[in-house]
Amino acid sequence: MVDKISQLFLRISPYAAFVLFPITLWCVFFWVPSDAFLGLNQRIFYYHVPAAITCFLGFASGGVASGIFLKTGNKDWDHAAHASVGIGLLFGTILLATGSVWARTAWGTWWTWDARLTTFLVLWLIFASYLLLRMMADDNEMMPRWAAVLAIVGCVNIPVVQFATRLWRTIHPQVIRNPDGGINDPAMQATLGLCLLAYFVMFSWLWALRVRMLRMHDRVDYLLDEAYREGNA
Amino acid sequence: MLAIIWKDIMLEMRSRETIASLLVFGLVVLVVFNFALDVTPANVLELAPGLLWVAIVLSAVTGLGRTFLIERENGCMTGLLLAPIERSSIYLAKLLVNIALLVVFEAGLIPFFILIYTVPIGGNLAALCAVVLVGTIGLAAAGTLFATVAAGTRARELMLPLIVLPLQIPLLISAVQATGLVLAGHPLGDLGNWGTILVAFDVLFITMGWLAFEFISVD
Repeated sequence: MVDKISQLFLRISPYAAFVLFPITLWCVFFWVPSDAFLGLNQRIFYYHVPAAITCFLGFASGGVASGIFLKTGNKDWDHAAHASVGIGLLFGTILLATGSVWARTAWGTWWTWDARLTTFLVLWLIFASYLLLRMMADDNEMMPRWAAVLAIVGCVNIPVVQFATRLWRTIHPQVIRNPDGGINDPAMQATLGLCLLAYFVMFSWLWALRVRMLRMHDRVDYLLDEAYREGNA
Repeated sequence: MLAIIWKDIMLEMRSRETIASLLVFGLVVLVVFNFALDVTPANVLELAPGLLWVAIVLSAVTGLGRTFLIERENGCMTGLLLAPIERSSIYLAKLLVNIALLVVFEAGLIPFFILIYTVPIGGNLAALCAVVLVGTIGLAAAGTLFATVAAGTRARELMLPLIVLPLQIPLLISAVQATGLVLAGHPLGDLGNWGTILVAFDVLFITMGWLAFEFISVD
């Protein structure tokens, strides 16, 4: 199933991304009106929020794929989880970078220990340790199971992290579904929707490439083993 | 299960090497922070909760790895896994041993902490101990689960803190806040959400460890 999904993504997503991203650039820089209070710098929001949603999607699907892997033992799902977390972390990094740039102009600081920022940084660290674990134990056949357990524990931990950090005061703007001061302009909503779609497409493409790469990596390892054994025989 | 607990406790009682190194490490952390932060009677209430928990968390994370390393060193882990008991019992046994170990360690650390920083504890020592105990259970639950994982990686001393510290951040936040309230003279009933997070974290991580240990240890 993982194979079929990634084949589908590899066939469609590259073209969709090449069409969508130029359109989002035009929307963000020329079409959408500026924010009444924040002015020009608010436009980074259209790349910031989709990155957040895509990153969450990556971590969550990493957790789900890990669960299926533990249940079935099918290596494909391990690749799917590995790719999801890796690409999710990439989007998390985009999120932190764009947010930091925005905060410099809006709050006057690159970073602050606000609840949402802290939550995201913690998640970033948890899933970075997931990738490190995979790297540090790649000679151990148990490693995929360990990584899967870590991904699931990380996902289950998300609400606890959120709850704990939200008890601190938050200054992060709440823009979606906020009647006063949110994005209520149809052009803004359309741009956000389009950017979100473009990000999903980008995620699916990168994810499928990564899955294919991990699969090839496994295949090469297997063939090397085979050749080594034949050479010895 | 009782046999594993008994074996580990006997081993520790005879050698005392883990507990001794934990205690000295905890003290070193406390002393080092005195120079890093310049604690005075004026700011002690602000800094003390964080100091105590940094000392506990760092010691726990460096010390907890040992419970599985001692099994691995002599190939005993295979023996343990072959024993006719539930895998989850091994986790619970190791967890209880770790909690016991950390409690003994804290019983040594806390008096020293109160003394060298002249923390105005008042009549709230029992409440402080309760908060520390609940926090310790959560630390041990996550630490024990991933100690067996970290023991199988190349940079094992580095991997355990790398995996466990980010996971424990909600616990650390609420433990520090709860300790601050207790040190400021509030009773346990005033802890509100911080207490809830601590207990929820304990329950969550014990359950997850209990369920996941099976997958982590199957050979």
